[in-house]
Amino acid sequence: MIFPESNERRKKLGQAIMFGIARGISYGIVGLLLLILFFIAKQGMGVVNWQYLTSMPTDGMTKGGIYPAIVGTLYLVGGSMLFAFPVGVMAGIYVNEYAKEGALKRFVKTMTNNLAGVPSIIFGLFGMALFVNQMGFGASIIAGSLTLGLLALPIVIRTTEESLKSVDDTFRQASYALGASKLYTIRKVVLPIALPNILTGLILAVGRVSGETAPILFTVAAYFLPKLPSSIMDQCMALPYHLYVISTSGTQIEASRPMAYGTAFVLVAIVLIVNIIAALLRNYFGKKVKMN
Amino acid sequence: MDLRRYTEPFFENLIKVCGYSSGFVVLLIVIFLFREGISFFNFSPVEKGYSLWVHSNNPVKKLEPAQIKDIFDQKITNWKSIGGKDEPIHLLSFDELSQAYSPTQLGPKFEHLPRCLDSFMDSLPGTIGFFPEAQTVGQLKTAREVEVDKIALSKFLTDTEWFPTSRPAARMGVMPLLLGTMLVSFFAILFALPLGLAASIYLAEIADERVRKILKPIIELLAGIPSVVYGFFGLVVIVPFVQDAFNLPVGETALSGSIVLAIMALPTIITVSEDALRTTPRSMKEASLALGASQWQTIRKVIVPYAASGITAAAILGIGRAIGETMAALMVTGNSAIMPHSLLQPVRTIPATIAAELGEAPYDGLHFKALFALGCVLFFITLIINLLVERVSAKR
Amino acid sequence: MSNKIETIDAHLYYGDFHALKGITLGIKENAVTALIGPSGCGKTSYLRLFNRMNDLIPYTQISGQVLLDGQNIYQIKPAEIDSLRRNVGMVFQNPNPFPKSIFENVAYGLRVNGIKDKSLIEAQVEKTLQQAALWDEVKDKLNQSAFELSGGQQQRLCIARALAIEPTILLMDEPASALDPISTGKIEDLIFELKNQFTIVIVTHNMQQAGRVSDYTGFFYLGQLIEYGKTRKIFTNPTKQETENYITGRFG
Repeated sequence: MIFPESNERRKKLGQAIMFGIARGISYGIVGLLLLILFFIAKQGMGVVNWQYLTSMPTDGMTKGGIYPAIVGTLYLVGGSMLFAFPVGVMAGIYVNEYAKEGALKRFVKTMTNNLAGVPSIIFGLFGMALFVNQMGFGASIIAGSLTLGLLALPIVIRTTEESLKSVDDTFRQASYALGASKLYTIRKVVLPIALPNILTGLILAVGRVSGETAPILFTVAAYFLPKLPSSIMDQCMALPYHLYVISTSGTQIEASRPMAYGTAFVLVAIVLIVNIIAALLRNYFGKKVKMN
Repeated sequence: MDLRRYTEPFFENLIKVCGYSSGFVVLLIVIFLFREGISFFNFSPVEKGYSLWVHSNNPVKKLEPAQIKDIFDQKITNWKSIGGKDEPIHLLSFDELSQAYSPTQLGPKFEHLPRCLDSFMDSLPGTIGFFPEAQTVGQLKTAREVEVDKIALSKFLTDTEWFPTSRPAARMGVMPLLLGTMLVSFFAILFALPLGLAASIYLAEIADERVRKILKPIIELLAGIPSVVYGFFGLVVIVPFVQDAFNLPVGETALSGSIVLAIMALPTIITVSEDALRTTPRSMKEASLALGASQWQTIRKVIVPYAASGITAAAILGIGRAIGETMAALMVTGNSAIMPHSLLQPVRTIPATIAAELGEAPYDGLHFKALFALGCVLFFITLIINLLVERVSAKR
Repeated sequence: MSNKIETIDAHLYYGDFHALKGITLGIKENAVTALIGPSGCGKTSYLRLFNRMNDLIPYTQISGQVLLDGQNIYQIKPAEIDSLRRNVGMVFQNPNPFPKSIFENVAYGLRVNGIKDKSLIEAQVEKTLQQAALWDEVKDKLNQSAFELSGGQQQRLCIARALAIEPTILLMDEPASALDPISTGKIEDLIFELKNQFTIVIVTHNMQQAGRVSDYTGFFYLGQLIEYGKTRKIFTNPTKQETENYITGRFG
């Protein structure tokens, strides 16, 4: 069979062009991300200092700091994890260790996937209907935390399930062989091995929750509160909502721009830190688990 | 030891209960969303506590919310055009009434309002009035209340106007919001899919391991950045850019929304399709190379077709994310609830509408319920998308 | 008969792992050569030297000479690798048809190498499907997906796919190990048919198979070629103890 010589050149040229385009696009996307990060860092760095992080906003939120928003976000993250972590981990244990293969397990997994796909504004609507109105919490830290907790639930469930799945079955069999019960095996053998990965999931969930705005719009977030919340029934400020209001709906949008850059920078920094911790945890413990 | 006989079953049951938590939460979301959303259809679009009145001899017995709005916007000025007599429509306002009648005639607590209305109606039979029910119901002789239909589901889904606070009757049609959402999401995916696919091909097949180990975490980081930060970035960078580039009066447009949402959809598309590309068996790639195909030919003709269902899933997932995205859409699309007919125009998406209006809608009122009904529509769309993704990715 | 392929002191490293330790061997033209040995002995790695498939695995190092028709294929220009691969067909352990129609699977090699003449492609597809003894089974469903064929049919399709671009060498990496006995029999019949036109190198785990289909056999163990010769001789009267142990089933 005689193949046209020209085809070889065309093949080579086509490949060079397409690979060049693919490489260019990839670097372009990564460059775009770095640009966004760099842009926010550059504009925000000048604003963020110790004082900015620890003082109240003043002058119609065009000056001062974001202390109450930071505290509010900490409360909300803590509160949501208090709910999502235990429930999510136990749900993950159920799915991977207890549920038998079949329709029921598929249903539970499908529901978890669906929950993960529910848009965050729906969580906001739901939180308002259930926690704020039906249960009578009003707009409060507890209503907001529970709403965010529900949003974080599928993330925790899925990472727990994945972590448990990666624990080799021989560990379980070895424990059963020694006469240990199923729950004891899970508690003493399986969970400790899977723990670093579960924690990684938890940390990523923290990152996700700390940046969510839509679910807290109507369940907890306050436009401006010059004091810290005193109970879980209080409203509070939160970083993402703060960024939203001072960048869109204030009366002095231009004057509050630096404050907005500062807040955006803090939010981005939280995400960066969370991802770095997660990566370190994965790397550090990833090796250890393998060694066992 | 004995204690464990009691604690173990307890914890095992607790684990089981938690196992069903996500199903339970989905169920609760459906119940609460739909309970509020469905009750919307039991509401009259006329403002609560008020009713519309016309002369008893007026053959028009029933009005559509759209007609009411046109009448009060003075787009319809003659009863003839809506099936009545050839008679100009007179909009009776409270001011006019208090000018025509002295305070004593009306009474200090407007207790004589019905009588005044009756006489006014008689003198001007083309009149339509909008008054509090408390002072009028059952007391007017020459006037009759106009029936106004509740907003039916079909009307809600097809009406092309969204004026939730217009008086006397609100118009609530999902169409402009739905089309706004679809327009923004469609173009977001149109931008993001080719770029994302190219990047996933680069990461899965072209880049060597060292480059990949650097690029991958950066792209994953992109997924972690909060949407409000993207919205803010869009607001300070993309919006002015779009405004300048197309010389527009405002930069908050569907296009700006599509660009920001495209950036946000990229990490989802890249990771999901890269995973799909990586499932191609090595021997299949080798078989292609062994036939003298170049690496690029192998990618284009074997690897991408093999991963097609995974790539489709990535695209659908990306659309789902874009449709549900709230904050970024709210901050950069300009939020004007009109039927979109250009990318360079402000539009409004469903999630952005809920976020922007729920805070102002009176609790349990028509508007409040309407936003929950919007939530139901959004929930349905994302549910279908999720099931579609599951179906597509289970194909192999 | 002359040597179609020859290796002289060929070494292969995957990173630190020394997979082939100086293999010197000549493979006869228009004959079937079987490579046998326990898992991880290097027989598949050796096979993959001939169309430079090992190049695709990162951190691979190769030394020594691999001569194909007297030319060292590790000294050709990178641009010539594709034409080398056109000359060397390959069939893999698991049937791996492309996600395309039956017709397009066979036509693939022609198309990627620049053949555009429709009637030529059609003729070649029919010819090779007949060569692979598959034509009668698929001639009415050429446009169906190749995944709808049975495992044995898929493997014969993969053989047809490899033959379509008219190579002179056919490499087979355990081509029947994933198939049932009847399909295996058909593949073996096919190998027997094809050996007049092609130089066939087959890696196999299956002793009986090697005995049935091959003219020459090389026994690999721990990256070394322990023994090579006429199949009948290797199976009835091996010179090395390891070969005898392996063939009589004492290990492996």
